Amino acid sequence: MTSAALSQRVLDEYAAVRESLPAGVVSPERRQEAVQALAARGLPTTREENWRYTNLRPLERARFAPAVVAAADAMGVPAETATPALPLPSGSELPAQLEGFARYTFVDGVFASDLSSPEEQNGLSVHTLRRSARGATSATVFQLPRALPVLGRLPEARLALLNEAFATDTAAIHVGGAAGQPARVEVLFIAVAGADIGTSYPRVQVSLDPASRLILVERHIGAGGGTHFINGLVNVDVGRGAQLTHYRLQQASARATWLDTLSAVLATDARYALLAVNTGGLSARSTTHVQMAGPGAQLVLSVAALGDRQQVQDYFALVEHVAPRARTEQIFRGIASGRARVAFNGKIAVREAAAGTDSRQSLRGLLAGPEAEIDVRPQLEIYTDDVRCSHGATAGKLDDDMLFYLLSRGLSPEVARRLLKWAFLEDVVSKIELPALRRQIEHDLAGQMADAASLKELL
Amino acid sequence: MLKIENLHVKVDGKEILKGLTLTVPTGEVHAVMGPNGSGKSTLANVLAGRPGYEITAGAVTFQGRDLLALAPEDRAREGVFLGFQYPVEIPGVNNVYLLKAAVNAARKHRGLEEVDAFEFLALVREKMRLMRMEESMLSRGVNEGFSGGEKKRNEVLQMLVLEPRLAILDETDSGLDIDALKVVANGVNTLRSAERSLVLVTHYQRLLDYIVPDHVHVLVKGRIARSGDKSLALELERRGYDWVTGEAA
Repeated sequence: MTSAALSQRVLDEYAAVRESLPAGVVSPERRQEAVQALAARGLPTTREENWRYTNLRPLERARFAPAVVAAADAMGVPAETATPALPLPSGSELPAQLEGFARYTFVDGVFASDLSSPEEQNGLSVHTLRRSARGATSATVFQLPRALPVLGRLPEARLALLNEAFATDTAAIHVGGAAGQPARVEVLFIAVAGADIGTSYPRVQVSLDPASRLILVERHIGAGGGTHFINGLVNVDVGRGAQLTHYRLQQASARATWLDTLSAVLATDARYALLAVNTGGLSARSTTHVQMAGPGAQLVLSVAALGDRQQVQDYFALVEHVAPRARTEQIFRGIASGRARVAFNGKIAVREAAAGTDSRQSLRGLLAGPEAEIDVRPQLEIYTDDVRCSHGATAGKLDDDMLFYLLSRGLSPEVARRLLKWAFLEDVVSKIELPALRRQIEHDLAGQMADAASLKELL
Repeated sequence: MLKIENLHVKVDGKEILKGLTLTVPTGEVHAVMGPNGSGKSTLANVLAGRPGYEITAGAVTFQGRDLLALAPEDRAREGVFLGFQYPVEIPGVNNVYLLKAAVNAARKHRGLEEVDAFEFLALVREKMRLMRMEESMLSRGVNEGFSGGEKKRNEVLQMLVLEPRLAILDETDSGLDIDALKVVANGVNTLRSAERSLVLVTHYQRLLDYIVPDHVHVLVKGRIARSGDKSLALELERRGYDWVTGEAA
């Protein structure tokens, strides 16, 4: 299907459901703008430099209308009042709740209060825009952040326009003034509906007032094992001197298509630690765009990605330095087994005003199968002299000397290989500061690396 | 224990061992000395099963079994231990995990249950004291950031915990100062027993002051050129390798 034909289909599908989309989540005007912008630019194709590693074929078969809207139609209820299909399919297991974390769950992109904590807690407010719009919870009108303009100009963030047009709900998290302890929130997104029904649109809005602190766990899982089609959008706004630690776990179902755009703006002296572990989906692409807008802002972006079978795990990260003395650290560790392709394309752009920028990139890929593919690409674009930018990128196989050393101690080749893969991810995993979450992630990773019984005993 | 007969080995198409014959009876300590390039490390690596060595002729039996037919991990589980000349660093693989995995692999092989975690840790701590190692090294990555001497001590620590039947120590003395050498030698000596054999591969006689061998062999150009008791090492020290290389030529 041509890009133009696809764009036309987006327009048609939007026209068919526009009346059913909640205005409180995204206004009709903004939805219309998004659809038109997408039609004008076209959907991405692999001919574009920063999309070349993505598997975009699932777009051709996608139904862009939200799954919840299609389901409401089928049931003959107004889409705006549709609640998620509960209970979840039998056999669905939710991850254990983390102590001290309020959890907010969304099913196919719509808030599921039955699976969630109370919406007001310790001065922190989390609301879902859909409910706010109906007056069900809070009357607060959430100010949409200044980060949004990025949607219009960045070609790599185009798929966010689909979310903007079709969004069904938003987890809006706002953390007020300086508190002693950081606020702790988990948002859990569960994809249930099959891709033949429609798309799931997870959407998160995070806003930190100056000097506030938040630890956010964002988890994406699937239920029912279907071919989900997921298109997420996360907007992050870290205020002056605020600190956000953000864990993102992409654990979509094995047959899911996962597309995701995260856009963040960091104010003066803001600190943002973003740690993503991507293991799920059949075709996955994450786009992250962080703007270092204030002097002295600090970003640590750590990404671990595992691909096996015929998975495609593609990550594009752009960090834009527009203010002086900001610091960026980018760490990527990816392992491709089977016939998988794992890619990380990390770009750092230092604009003229960004004197004193300090950026470091350490990107490493591990080829763990003869038919697997690893692509790691550091890109630097520097428009000022006074900067310190270092980067290292490697892609290779398991080290033969390390492997022989472990064998010579009696470990089987399977365990030795798994242990070395494990060790390879350590630079990212060791950055997880919550012991309970770290254990969950370690078990997820161990589970991804084949039947890991022998490894789990070591954990 | 170990019987090597007429062993020929090629590396990258070049013959390094050219008919090496050596027998190490149970309970004995044998030193294999030789100048650089004589094939000492090749011998150690071939015995442990390192890939990249082409065995063109000869045989090696270990406790009556064909050692060369065993995979490296099976050699280890049967009780063959190689102390590496250059122990590799493996960041992210915890030292104590590796020790435990290694011990359990050998136990499983012998049909034994897994080691008790508390008893195991107590044993490891005891051996670490013997090797004068900081306990904090246990939770670090294997050899990660260790000095040369610490790596060698860690090799001997692993050997003490694994209690192999046959230990081959490849230049475990190189790069050690005299104090570290004594610690390492002391560790090795605690393992000497009537049921165990040791092969010390070394360039220098110095190590043999502290670990006194039953037999000394001089390896020249891929063959044992001369064998004797510990006095041979002293004579070598005095006269230099030219003495035997001259004879062998």
